[in-house]
Amino acid sequence: MKVGFIGLGIMGRPMALNLMRGGHQLTVWARRAESMQPLLAAGACAAAHPAAVAEAVDVVISMVADAPDVEQVMLGGQGVVQAARTGLVAVDMSTIRPAAARHIAGRLGEHGIDFLDAPVSGGEVGAVAGTLSIMVGGSVAAFAATRPAFECMGRNIVHIGDSGAGQVAKAANQIVTGVGVLTVAEALNFAARSGVDPARVREALLGGFAYSKILENHGQRMLDRNFKPGFKSWMHQKDMNIVMQSAHELGLCLPVSAATAQMYNAMVGSGLGEEDSIAILKLLERLSGEAG
Amino acid sequence: MQLGFIGLGVMGRPMALHLLGAGHHLAIWARRPVSSDPLVDAGALRCASPAEVARRSEVVFTMVTADADVERLAFGAHGLVEGLTAGSVLVDMSTIAPPSARAVAQRLAAHGVEMLDAPVSGGEQGAIAATLVIMVGGKAKVLERVRPLFELLGSRLVHVGDHGAGQVAKACNQMVMVAAIQALAEALHLSGAAGADPARVRQALAGGSAASRVLEVMGGRMVERDFAAGVEARLHHKDYAVLIAEAHRLGLPLPVSGQVAQQLNALMALGWGRCDTAVLLRVLESGTLRRRPGAAPGSQDDSARVER
Repeated sequence: MKVGFIGLGIMGRPMALNLMRGGHQLTVWARRAESMQPLLAAGACAAAHPAAVAEAVDVVISMVADAPDVEQVMLGGQGVVQAARTGLVAVDMSTIRPAAARHIAGRLGEHGIDFLDAPVSGGEVGAVAGTLSIMVGGSVAAFAATRPAFECMGRNIVHIGDSGAGQVAKAANQIVTGVGVLTVAEALNFAARSGVDPARVREALLGGFAYSKILENHGQRMLDRNFKPGFKSWMHQKDMNIVMQSAHELGLCLPVSAATAQMYNAMVGSGLGEEDSIAILKLLERLSGEAG
Repeated sequence: MQLGFIGLGVMGRPMALHLLGAGHHLAIWARRPVSSDPLVDAGALRCASPAEVARRSEVVFTMVTADADVERLAFGAHGLVEGLTAGSVLVDMSTIAPPSARAVAQRLAAHGVEMLDAPVSGGEQGAIAATLVIMVGGKAKVLERVRPLFELLGSRLVHVGDHGAGQVAKACNQMVMVAAIQALAEALHLSGAAGADPARVRQALAGGSAASRVLEVMGGRMVERDFAAGVEARLHHKDYAVLIAEAHRLGLPLPVSGQVAQQLNALMALGWGRCDTAVLLRVLESGTLRRRPGAAPGSQDDSARVER
């Protein structure tokens, strides 16, 4: 299959490389030309802009930061929409507001382009290993057509529902992981400040109902004080903002998410935005009267 | 003076009448002509568009609901900017997000038009009695030109700072007031559940360090269970979205505001957006099992039943 890939950052680059390893022909574009180099070296073609990518492929994928970037790539003057033709499938794997995804799907649909929102979970590790979870919203037909490409990048691939449903699932995922990281940090800080070895507490908890992947992986990195990203705090702050905006629009009471969103605000405001989200432990330590 | 006024709702109408009453010429426009009738009867001139209002005015006031309304009035088809001449002033007294106010000011400046953001506090009563608190952002020189007009509308005028600063002060005002309403709702909810008469608790609190305007006004409504609007809660819901967005934009933790926003979300979901914000008491009640006053859950005399 001919696949286009736009956005070659921490997540996009390994995802695009996995598509090539899967035998797909790749055309790429990135805002910064140097981020295309590793892909070109591996045999991908470069295009001059997103519309030129779309002209050359069956499926065009974007993996960028936020809704305005996706809108620019898909709907802009040199966007995918300019290369509209029946049968073209556009896929956005970034994390954006469900309402924004539905808007883009509608606009592309007017030009006969099928759109899937397909955000991922699993982080850089999952992107490199090709083991991402992929949550898809859009038509069944477009999902079926894109599935071979998804299978090169992820393992747990779920068609959730109509346009926007993938982003809803991702927002739900970010609630659980955002709150989860904060909870594990609180528990380990609680143990440490109570004079108990947090490593042993973690080990004990892993055997019971408090077990989670976050306790296992993020918890270990907290103990190692390895705050290198991973998943940067400012991105989780952005995702919690998506959750809070949706709660406002829907009239939803999300008290724990709200508390967590404020903690991520504090992280970004106090200079921890570029560190991994587990650096929330440092914030808790500061708020508990210890230099973090 | 030749003045314009757009937005003749619960707040705007009495404010516009004060300006007329002081002998100023007033040009007005309303989406629904019927809402301008009382003003026309009092001598105001009805215009066909915001642009026409602007052409006839040295100072134009706007008092509308949302950021998008202000932007549409200013820059939409037949918008104010088509009629405002260099040196004229747009005074926006709506409550909108600070970044929106700054953006409007900047776009108007490109046309040589001055802008003040001047949101108010004091509600319908304050508008009618001309006792509003007016929080102004913009240039001091422009404020001095408009000051005599503000004095017809309010009893306290504070120049908070540059463009957007008035809206920042208003956001803070909403933050403190609605959080106080929520705290009061929780206190009276606790009183009732613990077997103490909420009316007497309120009476007791009024004499001490917990005394406040919210305790007096909203507390009265809660005790009387009179939730007909005062200030419609949906407006506070909107204001809290501004606060939460600013907290995100600035990387600022606002833990209490985050929680209050969730109670307001629940309020909207329960369909009480047009009630007074005192209805936050009912939001708490709707999430509580009904039991005998004073009984702890699980105790022998606990007659807990799910209220549906």
